[in-house]
Amino acid sequence: MIQQIKDKAKELLDSGAVSCVIGYERASDGLTARPLFVYETEDVEKLIFDETCTHNLVKYLLNIKDKPTAIVVKPCDARALNVLLGEKQHQREKVNIIGEACPGVVETSWNKKGDDLEARCQVCTQHTPPIYDFLVGEPIEEPSPPSTFSDVADFEGKSAAERASFWAEQFERCIRCYACRNVCPGCYCTECQVEQVNPEWVSIRLTPEENLMWHVMRAFHLAGRCIGCKECERVCPVNIPLSLLNRKLQQEVLALFDFQAGIDEDTPAPLATFKKDEKLGIGEWHE
Amino acid sequence: MARIIAKKDLASWLEELLKEHTVIAPTSVGEFTLFRPIITPEEIALDFDNTVLSPKEWFFPRAESLFTRDGGAEEPVPQPIDKLVIFGIRPCDAKGLTVLDKTLYSTPFDALYTQRRNQATLIGLACSKPGPQCFCTTMGSAPDDASNVDIMLTEVDDGYIVETVTEKGKALIAGALLSESKSPPPQVASPAVIEGITEEMPESARERYWSRLADRCLHCHICAFVCPTCYCTQDRQYDSQGRVEQLRCWYSCQGQGFTRIGGYTPNPTKTDRMRHRFYHKLPHFPDTQGSGYATCVGCGRCVTACPVNIDIREVIADTKQRQPV
Repeated sequence: MIQQIKDKAKELLDSGAVSCVIGYERASDGLTARPLFVYETEDVEKLIFDETCTHNLVKYLLNIKDKPTAIVVKPCDARALNVLLGEKQHQREKVNIIGEACPGVVETSWNKKGDDLEARCQVCTQHTPPIYDFLVGEPIEEPSPPSTFSDVADFEGKSAAERASFWAEQFERCIRCYACRNVCPGCYCTECQVEQVNPEWVSIRLTPEENLMWHVMRAFHLAGRCIGCKECERVCPVNIPLSLLNRKLQQEVLALFDFQAGIDEDTPAPLATFKKDEKLGIGEWHE
Repeated sequence: MARIIAKKDLASWLEELLKEHTVIAPTSVGEFTLFRPIITPEEIALDFDNTVLSPKEWFFPRAESLFTRDGGAEEPVPQPIDKLVIFGIRPCDAKGLTVLDKTLYSTPFDALYTQRRNQATLIGLACSKPGPQCFCTTMGSAPDDASNVDIMLTEVDDGYIVETVTEKGKALIAGALLSESKSPPPQVASPAVIEGITEEMPESARERYWSRLADRCLHCHICAFVCPTCYCTQDRQYDSQGRVEQLRCWYSCQGQGFTRIGGYTPNPTKTDRMRHRFYHKLPHFPDTQGSGYATCVGCGRCVTACPVNIDIREVIADTKQRQPV
């Protein structure tokens, strides 16, 4: 499988079709993966793909809008690419998509590799990328969709006080490194709201309240756009379970608009469109 | 013969200290070990390589108020905390404070940092086993380096060997029950020194090197925030009904607007900022101050925490930029 990626990367670079191939190489721990930018064909041999390739590389395309680039994507990453294409953040003809049929990835951090598939992969319904130019491996038969929001339901089973104290404890640790924002393919504002000073939406005071404001704001901006790659949670240096917020909003958007982000390139995002007949009253979908 | 404190005596000594000091020690917070104030010695978690965040936050907090001004009169800088004991600080982090002192504890003095440093006694804990990310020996320190603490503890079978380094340490240890050690001093395993290349990188290759490294950088602030020696900040003023407060928080050279002044950004690209960071961490202080100090102390936190594995040890090996050892 990896040979297919290497061959394709070599072909694209040699022919001059792309100036760079974004893929994965082995990290400095000799165990996990890290992003690799291949510009010269001799570096093609460094490319790897295995269950430690957790990173969503699509974010990097936002830095290379002008030059044709090839990128290795898992199905979830391909959905993020669909979101960016749909939001006109990248031109389809400038990107060559090397899609991976993906059985799932494991939890990783530096020098650590989990044994089991990530929770999101265990309930994943999409093992073949929804968009690609070249598919690596055979399309994997889609399993029947299981109930995917049990984690949200479990959390909502707790009392309001328990939930508030859970988040207060989590956000007390936040150091506002903004890695959650910077790794997210959906976050590409040239000036983030959190950095605006006039008016200032979020204070630089690192209280749990201000941190809550930041994280809730971030989650809401990704409502109907988050594809659930969970990169925000993977990169968090103090392990705040951020994706729980995103998953709640994913669930809401699915229930309200029957919409999942990035499944295709064309369906407009519900929060970026208006239909005359759509319900506007808050809470009406519970009827 | 070395002096030793038995484990139970250590607990009772700490209980004594807690009466008059705020004691900051490694504690378990969820799945992490972090330096937090303790109420009883039982809260201390000593089974750790090192903490996720460095203890610098107790001298140089993530965010703090510098002064307030109500109408015309400036209110005095608030006095921070009472007497402080940092228990269980690793040699690399203690060296990190010495590095921070070069900037914050020298003219012009940072008032709040200086006060906290004066109030604090550092009780070091030697590392018995280096973590896979550790490279303190490359940066001129060692797992049992006692030169930046007041008291150094080294774990042995029947307790901790106590090495009193400073007068401050001597005063603090006075109340503890010590005995002569029967255990031989432990052999400390040191991380290997990173050798890397022997030739400096040619000028012509440098731009490309930093640009390739910067490719995968997410320009988040993790490396700077977990670093025991990073001290860049951003300030903001808060004005509420005539009462003005000056607040300062950590900032990172990897952020897009780093050192933006009046619309001009001296380091506009990720490549510029990446080079800036590593020059500052490695050759900058030895070059400009003539000292042997690099500002990197080899704790390896950025190695572990970087989400895209930008590994300073590889940079050291690739560029031969480190302090002379």
